[in-house]
Amino acid sequence: MSSTQKRPSAQSLRRTNWVLGVITVGFLALAAALLASPWKASTQPKIPLVDPSFLEQTAWRKSYSDLVREKADLSDFQCYVCHEKKNPPPLRYDEQHVLIVPDEHSDIKMGHGTHNRNNLCYNCHNENDLLTFSIRDGNELKFEESSRLCGSCHGPNYRDWEAGVHGRMNGYWNHQLGDFKRLDCVNCHNPHAPKIPTRKPAPPPHPLRLPLLPEPQPKAATTS
Amino acid sequence: MMRATRDYLTFLWRCGRIAFVGDWRYYAWMGGLTVFCLLGLHAYCIQFVHGLIVTGMSDEVSWGVYIANFTFLVGVAAAAVMMVIPVYIYDNEELHDLVIFGELLAVAAIIMCLAFVTVDLGRPDRFWHLIPGIGQLNFPRSMLSWDVIVLNGYLLLNVHICGYLLYSRYQNRKPSKWFYIPFVFVAIVWAVSIHTVTAFLYVGLGGRPFWNSSIVGPRFLASAFSAGPSIIILALQIIRRVTHYHITDKALLTLRSIVQVSMIINVFLLFNEVFKEFYSGLHVASSTYLFLGLDGHHALVPWIWTAVVFNLVSMFLLILPLTRSLKWLDLACVLCIVGIWIEKGMGLVIPGFIPTPLGALIEYTPSLNETLVCLGIWAFGLLCYTIFLRMSVPILQGRLSKANEHLPEPDAAADPATAPVPH
Amino acid sequence: MGRRNFLRSSAAFAGLGALAASLSPLRELGDYSSVDEFMQKYYKEMTPDDMAKVITRIENDVQRQYGIRPHVRDLKPMDGAEFVYCLNLTRCIGCRKCVHACVNENNQSRNPEIQYIRVLKLPHGSMDIDKADHEYNPESVPEKGFFYMPVQCQQCHNPPCVKVCPVHATWQEKDGITVIDYDWCIGCRYCEAACPYWARRFNFTKPEIPKERLNPNMSYLGNRPRKQGVMEKCHFCIQRTRVGRYPACLEVCPVGARKFGNILDPDSEVSYILREKRIFIQLKEEMGTNPRFFYYFEK
Repeated sequence: MSSTQKRPSAQSLRRTNWVLGVITVGFLALAAALLASPWKASTQPKIPLVDPSFLEQTAWRKSYSDLVREKADLSDFQCYVCHEKKNPPPLRYDEQHVLIVPDEHSDIKMGHGTHNRNNLCYNCHNENDLLTFSIRDGNELKFEESSRLCGSCHGPNYRDWEAGVHGRMNGYWNHQLGDFKRLDCVNCHNPHAPKIPTRKPAPPPHPLRLPLLPEPQPKAATTS
Repeated sequence: MMRATRDYLTFLWRCGRIAFVGDWRYYAWMGGLTVFCLLGLHAYCIQFVHGLIVTGMSDEVSWGVYIANFTFLVGVAAAAVMMVIPVYIYDNEELHDLVIFGELLAVAAIIMCLAFVTVDLGRPDRFWHLIPGIGQLNFPRSMLSWDVIVLNGYLLLNVHICGYLLYSRYQNRKPSKWFYIPFVFVAIVWAVSIHTVTAFLYVGLGGRPFWNSSIVGPRFLASAFSAGPSIIILALQIIRRVTHYHITDKALLTLRSIVQVSMIINVFLLFNEVFKEFYSGLHVASSTYLFLGLDGHHALVPWIWTAVVFNLVSMFLLILPLTRSLKWLDLACVLCIVGIWIEKGMGLVIPGFIPTPLGALIEYTPSLNETLVCLGIWAFGLLCYTIFLRMSVPILQGRLSKANEHLPEPDAAADPATAPVPH
Repeated sequence: MGRRNFLRSSAAFAGLGALAASLSPLRELGDYSSVDEFMQKYYKEMTPDDMAKVITRIENDVQRQYGIRPHVRDLKPMDGAEFVYCLNLTRCIGCRKCVHACVNENNQSRNPEIQYIRVLKLPHGSMDIDKADHEYNPESVPEKGFFYMPVQCQQCHNPPCVKVCPVHATWQEKDGITVIDYDWCIGCRYCEAACPYWARRFNFTKPEIPKERLNPNMSYLGNRPRKQGVMEKCHFCIQRTRVGRYPACLEVCPVGARKFGNILDPDSEVSYILREKRIFIQLKEEMGTNPRFFYYFEK
């Protein structure tokens, strides 16, 4: 290198000029490129809005009181249009001693408790007055009071329900500031088959960055 | 007073001016760095407008390469102490005239750190909320507030020390010990503190078992004290080559022994961590993801094994007498820097988020935009360091001093930046 | 010499040109922030007058953006109320209605998607969260052999997120709700890293809420629309619960698995549950976060 002399060589000076020229052109090219914005923010796929049915707060079943309040058609509850008042319909059973639901009531699928223990109409309905229920202490209850009927067997759940702990509450947690509404048992449970049916879940989350590989499904514990 | 101010302003002006003059290699180097800076700035503007969605980060992996680079660079900044201690405590002669290059590297590294933290913010316009007095700095509870204080403090300390020593040399005066020795000793403790605080940033999070380990602090220091001096070794050789500044092989070999010991400790601590994680098998998901891959996700596996191999090879090279030859030493340093950059950056920050505290496995890959921002900040840091060297070398060589204030400024290309100075 | 000076200046000017060009994306900045917003004081330092001005600004912003005049309030904690949430894992069927009711109530971004509640599907017999499935989407739920655990902000007594925030942008109020001042958050995401429940969400870009789904009943610390680059999370529906109402996720639950109330009131549902139910757990109890969110079992 020629750096032993105090002044740099002419070659070095020429190179400096050349480099400065290249830098100038390079900067101008860069400016042009950046104005053209070579890369854009990546666009994410549109996520569809969730179906409004998943935002619905109303109970999936209506109680008798709901129907009365809504002034709905109550003809289904007018038993004595078909039945005779003094003549309670007899119950019929198959060979396994399982209740045979008459064709007129084919919409009813019995499934209350295990081993068909509770699939008997007159466990709840009042045989002598089909417009009421008969509770275990022998008293009669109106259709509107169905929850008390349930409570006559399901003591702990009834106690929780009264405390607002079993079943859903709506409205105000602070009762001084506003009303609250407690759902009735039959708003969630079909009294003839109380197990809550399965349902379609709302859509799963859409993470910002999708997993690169499909996530393996966790295996169910074999002990259960 | 007026005179002193005028002198100081002249000094600054001349320093600034010299940053813009040099030979063709200087222009080519600075021009190239500027291009990368501008690409990075452009990428950052895109991020500023559209938000961090243009990065590869997500709610699952909420910190990425920005914080990884930040962590690595805090270590580089702290490593200046590895030159300061031999010089100011053990009176090492060889390193005495070089320690300022280490301190200037610390300044450049801290500038990069602050840049990396800033680009990671979702609302950089609200940075003033961090300023005590007008903002609401959550000190001392938040480790991040400690980091804000120690990083800026360390920057000020080093700027003061370097600035004072250089200005004294410029004026050809012996620096007054009272004006810098106390700061040097504060800076020694402070250097350790910046990296400890950065480690505590992670260690303090109980919800992230991968980080919640008391060995992270010591590991940070050990890796910093190997990677940092390695960078200084490489930088000094470049300075020696380009400016003919007097740097002895013995000085480089002193730094080699520092890297050697730190690297052995670093590998030992890494081994400790790996043993504890895998032998106990407790909270091992993140480590499994990092080293072996988890449920078919293994983006980091090749990286971490590269880092492990680099660290080990570098350690063995440094132990062998082979690295007394500078070529081999350079190789060991490069392996050490790259290995630690991976181990400490991607290898520490990312697995802490995978799986998430709720067990989701979402991987992270830096986006192009994010990578450009990182390159831009690295280029900016190198640009700063080059400028610092461009100013300080002639001052230390006595070519830029108050004495030649009234002489005509040399022409750019004719400036004997590359001329040897008789020692 | 003259030539070189010319070349040097031209390189410098070209560099300045490139600098200006690199800043070009800033042209699309739009309504990133206003001067008022930039200068806005910290929540706890605002006088009622300041707050009134801020609320007007927010209402104007929302109206300009969505064409709907919202009703924004700064609701303070009630005296004598400390909120607790109880969730019955025996009941939950994993239908995710709570997730979407929450999104709807709290004006979360639909694109990209932000949700405060994540429902985990776990195999029977295990509380090992690493086995959780987040993406389950069968024809119907519940599925045999699994149970479902919705996770949202646990409103901890010792919130790690509050501890780590460098600017006090998130804090715990006296009713137990940990809130965020969205106008003070700097978006460092340290709280997101600190939360053991992965309850915090970040606005990676400008949130997108369809006009027809905007909830105009808003509160400052609650569900007003957020800006790009800030954190958000479940706040127990401040705009509802601080006026005495139940949170939205509770009111939509089809099985009544969710229970919310004032733990200081011995007659509240949550007091009853913690008194009467034999097993209830705080998620990751060993973290010492002491959540106000309890999971319980029955039968």
